[in-house]
Amino acid sequence: MEIPIHVLVFYLVALVVVGSACIVAFSRNIVHSAFSLLGTFGGVAALYVFLGADFVAAVQVLIYVGGILVLILFAVMLTHRISDIDITNRTVGRIPGLVAGAVFLGILVYAIAGTDWAKAREVAFEPTTAAIGNLFLGEYLLPFQIAAVVLLVALIGAITLSRKEIKE
Amino acid sequence: MDLGNVASLSLFYPEIVLAGTILVLTILDLVVANKRAMAYLGLAGCLVALGATVDLYGTEPTLLFHRMVALDNFSLFFKVVTLAALVGAIWMSIGSGEVRQVHLGEYYIVLLTCGFGMFFMASANNLLMAYLGLELVSLTSYILTGMLPHNRRSAEAALKYLIYGGVASGTMIYGMSWVFGMAGSLDYATINAAMAEGGGNQIALFMAFVFILAGFGYKMAFAPFHMWSPDVYQGAPTPFTGFLSVASNAAGVAILIRFFYPAVSTLGQEGAWAFQALPALQWTDLLVALSIITMTWGNLSALNQRNVKRLLAYSGIAHAGYIMMGLVVLNNDGLNAMLFYVVVYLIMNLGAFLVVMIVANATGREDMDAYRGLAWRGAAFPAVCMMVFLASLTGLPPMAGFIGKLLLVAAIIEGQFYVLAVVAMINTVVSLYYYWRIVKTMFLDEPAPEDGPVAATASAMPLLGALMVLTIVLGVYWAPLLDYTTGSLGFFMP
Repeated sequence: MEIPIHVLVFYLVALVVVGSACIVAFSRNIVHSAFSLLGTFGGVAALYVFLGADFVAAVQVLIYVGGILVLILFAVMLTHRISDIDITNRTVGRIPGLVAGAVFLGILVYAIAGTDWAKAREVAFEPTTAAIGNLFLGEYLLPFQIAAVVLLVALIGAITLSRKEIKE
Repeated sequence: MDLGNVASLSLFYPEIVLAGTILVLTILDLVVANKRAMAYLGLAGCLVALGATVDLYGTEPTLLFHRMVALDNFSLFFKVVTLAALVGAIWMSIGSGEVRQVHLGEYYIVLLTCGFGMFFMASANNLLMAYLGLELVSLTSYILTGMLPHNRRSAEAALKYLIYGGVASGTMIYGMSWVFGMAGSLDYATINAAMAEGGGNQIALFMAFVFILAGFGYKMAFAPFHMWSPDVYQGAPTPFTGFLSVASNAAGVAILIRFFYPAVSTLGQEGAWAFQALPALQWTDLLVALSIITMTWGNLSALNQRNVKRLLAYSGIAHAGYIMMGLVVLNNDGLNAMLFYVVVYLIMNLGAFLVVMIVANATGREDMDAYRGLAWRGAAFPAVCMMVFLASLTGLPPMAGFIGKLLLVAAIIEGQFYVLAVVAMINTVVSLYYYWRIVKTMFLDEPAPEDGPVAATASAMPLLGALMVLTIVLGVYWAPLLDYTTGSLGFFMP
């Protein structure tokens, strides 16, 4: 049986996403973790392409890879002595953690494999931007506006928390 | 009815008033020098929104904005609760010495936005809206918790809250993605239709519901998602702690009921709900276990607390457990008791935090020693009020808390959950110990020589008196409130 090329590419991308996510979680060096996010974010953008979501993929690259990742790197590099902090909370132990994680993973995989998932229509590779715009101003107007409120208050909060002194 | 965007606006004016107040405050903050005026403007905005919400009560259930939010008595009830909590919190903030240290303009803007988010937690008819409302409430809560300047405890609380909150909401949205994957839609009506057919793979559905329950439970602070609560209660400014303890709990109850009742269950004869999504698994057993663990854990942890805010945090966890009891019976009696308890809890807990604030204003302390002989140090009225609130929290007659607990226990006994009822009774006895230790400290302990007089904050007195009178009146004449909560069980049925 011959495997189609796009299936191979999909599994390659998935491997990159999961592999770099593992490095993010397990690396002892926080700078390495931050750089590994590049693979995760970029790979997710590729997954969006597989779903025919061109606009979301472009936004993912622009905002996550171009913006948030750079911001995280700045924060990591500008933080004084970030890598040698004392961790006071000891972990319970690797073995119980591994066992619990493995059992949980087993249940999840079993549940996912046994489920009849609602299938999307065939993926159509055509521009989606206009449709997204229409939905934002039509069916999804309210969530769009509420998201604006979320961003506004996050902005106000970030400014308030970062300038703490009060002038009398 | 199912309205589009423009047509919805005419039934959306409480939200518009509240959002308008937030925006006006944001702009005024730049030009007005007297920041205290912001509090009064915020208060006025809340009162107008409250009037508008009460005015809408009883409207025919309608879906607004292309089925995004539901306008029904249930959501209006929780909007009234949220606005009442906002009014109380702003009033408390005006007299609070702690709040005077923060940037007042931003404080009121973020506080109102938190209430605005709770509106959508109560009315969301779509998982996307539910998530957005919950995130709005979470983000604003983190900000308000960490607002106290140069205060390590406040900063630590905000960070812990953020990390727990991030995990909880990540878990929840993962669960939501499973539900989406099985139902093929985020809309509650479509989910309901999919669940009515048996719901598909039982294990996958069970996992998804547990994940979603984790996100909602984190808002309500029930075990095992309660870890944030003691630190946050202690670190946050007291008026906001008071608001958070009652409103966050209420909003959690609202989003939980809306999702697990109208969205995934079906209303049958005589107010009984059929939870047919999981025919093969005992969903209620899980809820019973959670409820028992939550109330027992909360009460036992409260026993040794020396800080009154921390003690009230553990008592809040215990109360989340009591409120959960209403969920297990799967009928309208249980839900009714939950709504009743939410109102009663709002009144008594806000009152208790008000007394904490008055004592902290005068002494700068929140530990038990600051309450030594409080009644004989010039604060007899706050001390008496505190006794009423604590008696109500314990569930002693003739306070409102007694009726609330009675309704909950009656509902579960009727549903034949005897073990749960017995555990709830035992827990009430346990809670008597730590609540009445405060009362004993206030009245029976001699003030130490170094304990100065406690000047009661004048502006807080009318609110304190009103809350105390309500606690007693609702304990003897509860019929109007019970009628109101019964009427508020009108859901928009998908």
